[in-house]
Amino acid sequence: MEDDEDEEEEESDEDEVPFKKVTKPRTLSEASKPSASSVNSDTEYQVDDELPEGTRVVKDSAGNARYIYPEIDPRYDTDDTDVEETNTIGNIPLDKYELYPHIGYDINGERIMRPATGEALDALLEQIDLPKGWTGIIDKNTGKGLNLSREELDILKKITRNEIPEEGYDPYPDMVEYFTSKTEVMPLSSAPEPKRRFIPSKHEAKRVMKIVKAIREGRIIPNKPKEKQEEQFYDIWADNPPPRPDHIMNIPAPKLPPPTHNESYNPPAEYLPTEKEKKEWEEMEPEDRDQDYLPKKYSALRLVPGYDKNINERFERCLDLYLAPRVRRKKLNIDPESLLPKLPSPKDLRPFPTFSSHKFIGHIGKVRSVSVDPLGLWLATGGDDGTVRVWEITSGIELWQIRLGQNEAVTCVRWRPTTEFANAYIIAASVGDHVHLLVPPFFPKSQITAGMEVIQAGYGHATAGTESSAKWTKPPSTLTKQGLALTITVKAPIKHISWHRKGDYFATTSPNQANNSIYIHHLPSHKSQLPFRKTPGLPQLVEFHPIKPHLYLATQRHVRIYDLAKQNLLKVLQPGSKWISSMSIHPHGNNIIIGSYDKRLLWHDLDLSTKPYKTLRYHQRAIRSVSFHMGAKPLFATASDDGTIQIFHGQVFNDLGTNPRIVPLKILRGHKITDGLGVLEITWHDREEWLFSAGADGVVRMWQQSAEAWL
Amino acid sequence: MAKIKKRGTSGNAKNFITRTQAVRKLQISLPDFRRLCIFKGIYPREPRNKKKANKGNSAPNTFYYTKDIQYLLHEPVLQKFRDHKAFAKKLTKALGRGEYGDAKRLEENHKPVVRLDHIIKERYPSFADALRDLDDALSMLHLFANLPSNEKIQPEIISKCQKVCHEWQHFIIKTHTLRKSFLSIKGIYYQAEIQGQDILWLVPYKFAQNVPGDVDFRIMLTFVEFYTTLLGFVMYRLYTLENWVYPPKFDQKADEAGAGLAAITVEQKETGNAIHAIEAAPAGPTAAEQGAIENLPVVEVTEDMMKTTIEEKKVDEEDAEAEAGINDTKNAIDVFKPIDAANAGDVLAQPILAVREDGTVAEPEDLFKGTVFFLSRETPRDPLEFILRSFGCNSIGWDAVLGEGAFTHDPLDPRITHQVVDRPPMVALPVGPDDDTEMAGQVTARHTAGRVPGRIYVQPQYVWDCINAGKLLKTDVYAPGAMLPPHLSPWVKVDSNGYDPSAPTGLDENGDVVNDMDVDVGSDEESEAEVVKDAAEGSEEEEEEEEESEVEGAPLDAAPSKKDNKRKSELNKKDREEEEQKEMAKMMMPRKKRKLYEKMIYSNSKKDEEAKNLRKKRKELEKARK
Repeated sequence: MEDDEDEEEEESDEDEVPFKKVTKPRTLSEASKPSASSVNSDTEYQVDDELPEGTRVVKDSAGNARYIYPEIDPRYDTDDTDVEETNTIGNIPLDKYELYPHIGYDINGERIMRPATGEALDALLEQIDLPKGWTGIIDKNTGKGLNLSREELDILKKITRNEIPEEGYDPYPDMVEYFTSKTEVMPLSSAPEPKRRFIPSKHEAKRVMKIVKAIREGRIIPNKPKEKQEEQFYDIWADNPPPRPDHIMNIPAPKLPPPTHNESYNPPAEYLPTEKEKKEWEEMEPEDRDQDYLPKKYSALRLVPGYDKNINERFERCLDLYLAPRVRRKKLNIDPESLLPKLPSPKDLRPFPTFSSHKFIGHIGKVRSVSVDPLGLWLATGGDDGTVRVWEITSGIELWQIRLGQNEAVTCVRWRPTTEFANAYIIAASVGDHVHLLVPPFFPKSQITAGMEVIQAGYGHATAGTESSAKWTKPPSTLTKQGLALTITVKAPIKHISWHRKGDYFATTSPNQANNSIYIHHLPSHKSQLPFRKTPGLPQLVEFHPIKPHLYLATQRHVRIYDLAKQNLLKVLQPGSKWISSMSIHPHGNNIIIGSYDKRLLWHDLDLSTKPYKTLRYHQRAIRSVSFHMGAKPLFATASDDGTIQIFHGQVFNDLGTNPRIVPLKILRGHKITDGLGVLEITWHDREEWLFSAGADGVVRMWQQSAEAWL
Repeated sequence: MAKIKKRGTSGNAKNFITRTQAVRKLQISLPDFRRLCIFKGIYPREPRNKKKANKGNSAPNTFYYTKDIQYLLHEPVLQKFRDHKAFAKKLTKALGRGEYGDAKRLEENHKPVVRLDHIIKERYPSFADALRDLDDALSMLHLFANLPSNEKIQPEIISKCQKVCHEWQHFIIKTHTLRKSFLSIKGIYYQAEIQGQDILWLVPYKFAQNVPGDVDFRIMLTFVEFYTTLLGFVMYRLYTLENWVYPPKFDQKADEAGAGLAAITVEQKETGNAIHAIEAAPAGPTAAEQGAIENLPVVEVTEDMMKTTIEEKKVDEEDAEAEAGINDTKNAIDVFKPIDAANAGDVLAQPILAVREDGTVAEPEDLFKGTVFFLSRETPRDPLEFILRSFGCNSIGWDAVLGEGAFTHDPLDPRITHQVVDRPPMVALPVGPDDDTEMAGQVTARHTAGRVPGRIYVQPQYVWDCINAGKLLKTDVYAPGAMLPPHLSPWVKVDSNGYDPSAPTGLDENGDVVNDMDVDVGSDEESEAEVVKDAAEGSEEEEEEEEESEVEGAPLDAAPSKKDNKRKSELNKKDREEEEQKEMAKMMMPRKKRKLYEKMIYSNSKKDEEAKNLRKKRKELEKARK
């Protein structure tokens, strides 16, 4: 039983945090006594006196004695206390431990407690009687004051004086002379100096005489000048070596070009410069001149004077030879036409509009917007004169007009893209911060009422929630008779309207408004909502995806695609242009084209990347409008401020392996540039390859395939 | 993972070295470095990436290829430069101490001499390489041969240049390798063809050259030093290949007397134990004659042997006489016996030419074969002598003022067939239309003022135009005092756009029309229509007027008939469509290609513009003449 207890105690000891141990110390004798007494007498051996108290001797499996020493209790009088306590925290600076009671861990993983730092009084006391070797430095590892012994201080002192720290080292010992310079008084040999050391050498005399004789005989001529050696030529190339192989770093000097006719002393008269050319040549800087002489004609060879710049020219050539850097340049000797890409002939890609068949004239000032009705019979236009006009496409006759603004322009006109509901024809037109919904009164009565019904269906809902900032108002009946059915007012001037394909929703964009720039209006319920709490960048326009519930928002530099159902951002396209002006989505929905004010057309393939698949720059001025043909024709067009419309063939393939094929087809010219503006908007007929363009010159043009092209 | 490459250890950063770095590396002064570069033919390079080559510094700098400089470290010439530096120190020290004897001894015995033969072998591993680079060398040496000596240019250098030039000219004459020549306002251009290499050089006119102050003659002289060595080796090779002795014999006395080319005698190399002087003309002694004179130890025959049909009958006698005369005088100047004056008047030597169908001569040495030229004293003797000799004329006489070495100094010599004159006629001479027939031999004794009958008087340009055309031209347009036809450069090749001044006016006009249409509205159909119309010839004049109006920028639809107008508008439309097609194709090009395309179009249009300008001028001039 007691044994069990002891074990329990030991276990609990291990679990406990070490410093708790310190708080309730137990003496070794107390701990060991009960255990020693409780051991069974048959297994126990007599413990030697030399072993520490409490040591048990147990028999191990081999039958040998095994000493089990008692646990060492860390106390001041334990054996370990004289072992120097080292801090094991390594490189970690001590100030990291400032918040803790300890300053590190010893070799056993026990905490080293922070030594008591004296209070101010203690410090003062310490100052009063400094201990021996006090330095005032605190040892990083121990946290205690660092004391130095006298010997250590001596060594440090010597090092600072550039002395060798070793005690008793003599840097300048006395020299031991192994070989002395002293002459001995007594010579080692007493032999007399030989005679030959005092008389001139016979051998030398003999040799001198030989030279004298040679000089006398003229065999040696002293200071004879070297013979002027003519340069010796020989056949360097006798072994017929092969010519130098061509190496990329070996660039031979280019030869001077041979003289032309105008260098002749008697050139044909047409080569002589006129007075004007002569003057031009003389006024030019010598470096800029094509040739460094003026052609001159002499009637006879005897009249030709010497050329005064011969030496200069040769010198220039010399300088070129050794001073001019040489580069290898590949000279392309090809026909420039071969560089042009081979495009399929536009004739094979017919039909596409080639000429202006009608003009719709009536607007005063610029025509800002143009739209074709879903059946393709009527054309609605809006312009700077504040009117919306509807024209019959086939005849070009103006059927109806309504003045919506006195001073304000109609910025955007859009037909409702569907007539599903009992042939309801509705036009949305924006003037300033209003959107007007129009039902042209020239339709049969049934159609007019159908249109009115669609618009007025929402009056019941409108009263319910009026938290939206857009106001839906019913115009006075006089205006209703003229065709104005409803007015919606938002907070900032509207630039762009875009209908959803089903005709229930339409979106308006007012680029000037910071946050409330985009509205989505719901026609059946007369409700407007702001889809974005905060719009990123400067919104330019929004478009609905033709099939999916996606919204494309073109800001100044990016196009952001949102999923309206899930209400999240799908993708951000980076066209890389400075300012987007217009955007059009391919009817299949996977390709969009973007026009920008910095003259670029950017084709994005949404399957590929957020960067454009193709960037084209061909217009001289900003692109105002881009448009895909929404029917079955693979066409698209761009309109620009330079007054031209560029028609493209843009075929999109169903298999993912084939890239879209873009072929420019035709440049349509016709609109005049007015106030720096050319064509402001273009739109395609829904089924035919007819293009309508609204020009700044007040003319709306219809472009068709010319009949003769079919022949 | 691959080892990370350290910056600046490969590529541009390692391959190129700046000039300052190179000079420091070689431990020589800048002038020495310059000299070394000229000798070794080392030139700066243009690294593809300058910033990388300059270790990130974008300051403008001159770069050399590092390996070039590395090779220079072991250059023997570099050691010579160092020796020379030490020598110069010793010399100045001796002079400073007033030890003039020592200085003289140093100068004479210890001056280091730079030899360049190893460099020549290195720079031009094969002979063809050396020939390819001869243009500049020849132009330079011919210029220096004409310079006055001064304190910068030693007279020895000039005489050396003259000697080399004469040796070169002798080689050209004897091998008949001169092909073309051109009289320009800068001097006379010559082109020779040696071993398939075209060599073009410029010889300035013999006038006192204007020596400008801003020219560094140290550089020029370094080049001259190199070029003389190069030409020495090239000449040696050329002469040995022809089995001639090099250096040829140079007659100082004759040179001082103004013999010019004749001061040098070219000799055949020893075969057995004899050295044979070479005949100036290939139509010289026959094989039998050669055999006859082979046993003579030294046979010197003058270059200026006359080879006419008459003389050839008496060749044996005359040769013997000539040999005798020359052996006596040890002089290479001609000794000629005038032949009977009686038959000379009647029978004129006739050139026997191997003429091709188009009138050009098959071999250049046949061109002036058999003619006897006389140069009046106002004509340039050296170029004329050089050209005539290289094209087969061996009998050239000139006025005594022009120096020694002439075939005859007598202007009344009856053997003379052509006289080159360049002075205004004192009396207007009627130039007969039968000049050609005269040349063919029917000489009628006709005495006109100051003119000797039986010979043709021409201006110097005749000679040049003949050799460039490769045939003997009609002489009437080159008669003294006549308005000369324009002298054209033989190297200008007319391409399709270019303008050919030698084309006849009518043809050119046609070309003009086509071309102008190309510029304005141009199309192939237009020119086809042209041809049809021309065939009809009915409304040609009208057409021309119209074209002119177009050229002058008059409105298109000013006057012409309705039909024309319609046709034009159709063409215009088609053309516009094509233009538009091009424009649209251009928009699909990547930017890099488009830039290249535009550059090419620009340079082509500039060329066209020049040609158009010339055509316009010519048309105006012709109109003014009418």
